[in-house]
Amino acid sequence: MSRAITTAPSSLAHHGIIEWLTSTDHKHVGILYMCTGIFYFLVAGLLALVIRAQLSQPEMTLVGPHQYAQIFTLHGTAMIFLFVVPFALGLANFLIPLQIGAPDMAFPRLNAFTYWLFFFAGLTIFSGALVNGGAAATGWYAYAPLSEISVSTGGGQDLWIVGLLMSSISGILTAVNFITTIFLYRAPGMTMWRLPIFTWEMVATSLLILMAFPSLAAVLAMLFIDRHFGGKFFDATAGGNPVLYQHLFWFFGHPEVYIMILPFFGVISEIIPVFSRKPIFGYTGLVLSAFAIAGLSMGVWAHHMFTTGVVTNAFFAAVSFLIAVPTGVKFFNWVGTMWRGSIVFTTPMLFAIGFMLNFLIGGITGVMVASPPIDFQAKDSYFLVSHFHYVLGGGSLFAIFGAIYFWFPKVFGKMLSERLGMSCFWLLFIGFNTTFFVMQFLGVMGMPRRIYTYPALPGWGTLNLIASIGSLIMAVGVLVFVWDVVTASLSRKHAPDDPWGGYSLEWWTTSPPPEYNFTSLPPIRSERPVFDAKHPELVRSGNS
Amino acid sequence: MRSARTLLATSLLLCTAGCGVYALPAGATTQAQVLRQDWMVFTLAGLFVAVVVFGLILFPLFVWRRRSNDYPVQFSQNSKLELIYTIIPLLMVIALFAVTYRDEIIVEHLGAHPANTVDVLAFQWSWRFHYVGTAINIVGMPNAPPQLVLPVDETTRINLTSSDVNHEFWVPAFLFKRDAIAGVKNSFDLRPIRVGVYLGRCAEFCGFDHALMTFTVRVVSQADYARWLRAGGSSIVLSSEGATL
Ligand code: HEM
Ligand SMILES: [Cu+2]
Ligand SMILES: [Cu+2]
Repeated sequence: MSRAITTAPSSLAHHGIIEWLTSTDHKHVGILYMCTGIFYFLVAGLLALVIRAQLSQPEMTLVGPHQYAQIFTLHGTAMIFLFVVPFALGLANFLIPLQIGAPDMAFPRLNAFTYWLFFFAGLTIFSGALVNGGAAATGWYAYAPLSEISVSTGGGQDLWIVGLLMSSISGILTAVNFITTIFLYRAPGMTMWRLPIFTWEMVATSLLILMAFPSLAAVLAMLFIDRHFGGKFFDATAGGNPVLYQHLFWFFGHPEVYIMILPFFGVISEIIPVFSRKPIFGYTGLVLSAFAIAGLSMGVWAHHMFTTGVVTNAFFAAVSFLIAVPTGVKFFNWVGTMWRGSIVFTTPMLFAIGFMLNFLIGGITGVMVASPPIDFQAKDSYFLVSHFHYVLGGGSLFAIFGAIYFWFPKVFGKMLSERLGMSCFWLLFIGFNTTFFVMQFLGVMGMPRRIYTYPALPGWGTLNLIASIGSLIMAVGVLVFVWDVVTASLSRKHAPDDPWGGYSLEWWTTSPPPEYNFTSLPPIRSERPVFDAKHPELVRSGNS
Repeated sequence: MRSARTLLATSLLLCTAGCGVYALPAGATTQAQVLRQDWMVFTLAGLFVAVVVFGLILFPLFVWRRRSNDYPVQFSQNSKLELIYTIIPLLMVIALFAVTYRDEIIVEHLGAHPANTVDVLAFQWSWRFHYVGTAINIVGMPNAPPQLVLPVDETTRINLTSSDVNHEFWVPAFLFKRDAIAGVKNSFDLRPIRVGVYLGRCAEFCGFDHALMTFTVRVVSQADYARWLRAGGSSIVLSSEGATL
């Protein structure tokens, strides 16, 4: 089989199962990451539907308090650690070598190892559902002392800890691999200042992973020591300190939200120029803003701790506000890219526009909750649930769908349907905003997050019902997407190598790319070599 | 008069509906009055940014759709413009920070001589209110929420802590919450301005019965409060003014 591959280079899809399981090809690893991520998205999405069913009316009894806690813990943990981050890493795995004109990652076997570590991390976390006492039930940040053995006695919490430890090690190794590859494996002519924005964003993301994930690994190890080896790190009665847990966790946890968004700023920065038929506007500003965001995000962790009374709120509020500036720069650069362009409304472009509209609301509510006086009401309420879903769901998730519609032809050599894609977009966009906009009001009125039941206070039942209906609309959108993927995969029609008029090197090679990616490369004189090669009459001077 | 008020209220409601202030409780302490201003400032600033940036995103979509196969002018930078749109947001967040900083100091200010002091202890899954200097101890249970009685127009100091996991003291009508953490004593002042009963609850997930870890705050006249203290915390002596808010 593998010999057949060398003679028929573009037949990635014809690999047998063994080849898939043992492959170290960055494209295989990337696909495995992304497909596993989507699988967990579907699982966590189903859990979200159970949450919304339980909350659709006051005093519902579909699930009890203990089940409910497991469900929101698994929903949040899976969405973050098993979907958004792995999908970003998978996409980067697939794209980075292609975008820089390299045959593979710097460390292909390490790369495969990180995937399998992540694979077993997911199984470990979910296997908690099978043990006595059930899965972890302390939320995605598992505050001690609630997560200490004296309170959370079950093995589910331990499996959660071990699973996340595995995923943090996997992430660190992946980041090392990305940085080495980008710094050392670029094709001749591909200088750093000609890297596509997505690859730049992955440099910033990888640095953030290297700084933040060790703190997660440390706090998880400490919690494990507390639980099983008589540690007292977070036990106030023995001289420990529960606040320490929060510091260590959020020192990881805030950068984590940028790890979940920077790659998708990159995705949006790839899609918008192609469908505005112009170069990206303000390339340098976009790169610098990525590093400004990454740097500032290391200094804002205690904005999750404004109500603890033991941190300097003013400092953390100030730095948090500052992040709005480089984020704003990105928005204006995207607008500048569309300005006087020639805009084509394809499905990826629709998702990119949806991303901008949703993320803007997430950003505005983000500046609000970065103000301690507002956070005093908004924290731990549905206002916050709304805010971070606008960032992660309206933002990252929409960018993920945009990325899938944009790169599916390159990855699998098949086109997704534009008609189904657009229906999927509108269902998700309408459903998403129906679900999460009303949550702002619920939060301000006083509905806390993580409650499995609520009394019939004025307006609560109606607003919650609206949110639940919205989640059903989203579910239909996801089904349309699944249907689209299934029919496209079964179709015999082949996608062209460059269906969109793409700019970066992945559009130069075949769809799907052959085993070592390229048989030839165009000259690289700007950040969009494929465009330059196909439209020599339009080549700009400067900015290279 | 009443209808003019309603009209004013509805128009305010409509213009701020966009960002959540519309449902913001009226604010039943002097501190909450200040906090409400922050919500107003940030909501209006947010609405302004939303209108401008939504406009900037949507405008090109209507004006510059593809009309022919020709490529448009391939421009890609404008340093002056980029500098401008870096500086304007910077000035905006500096202004927002100034408002935040001023108001947080007011809200978190601890008066030198609070009229009353209550030690609040959070535990799985209810609250204990101990009135310092008296023998009054009010202890609740998940299905029997305790009641915190506060005098109107007088400052009460709350000293908050937890005896087990993290909890969080939240009274939505006061627009305020604070963590209860073992080993940490958190103090804040409340000065209620309206007689009535307000719902309060734990806002930090604390396990099984977190959803039922509620309490009520009953704000009473100063005369009632004095009577209540003399009666050793028996609520029979309270006159029944004020509705649940
Ligand atoms: C697809 C539609 C989705 C729906 C209907 C949904 C719904 C919800 C709801 C209602 C909660 C609050 C549960 C509670 O506090 O009691 C929640 C929590 C959460 N969701 Fe989602 N969600 C969705 C998608 C996502 C996505 C895409 C992400 C991230 C990428 C995400 C991440 C989270 C996280 C981190 C939490 C917090 C869990 C915790 O409190 O520990 N959700 N979700
Ligand atoms: Cu944060
Ligand atoms: Cu609680």
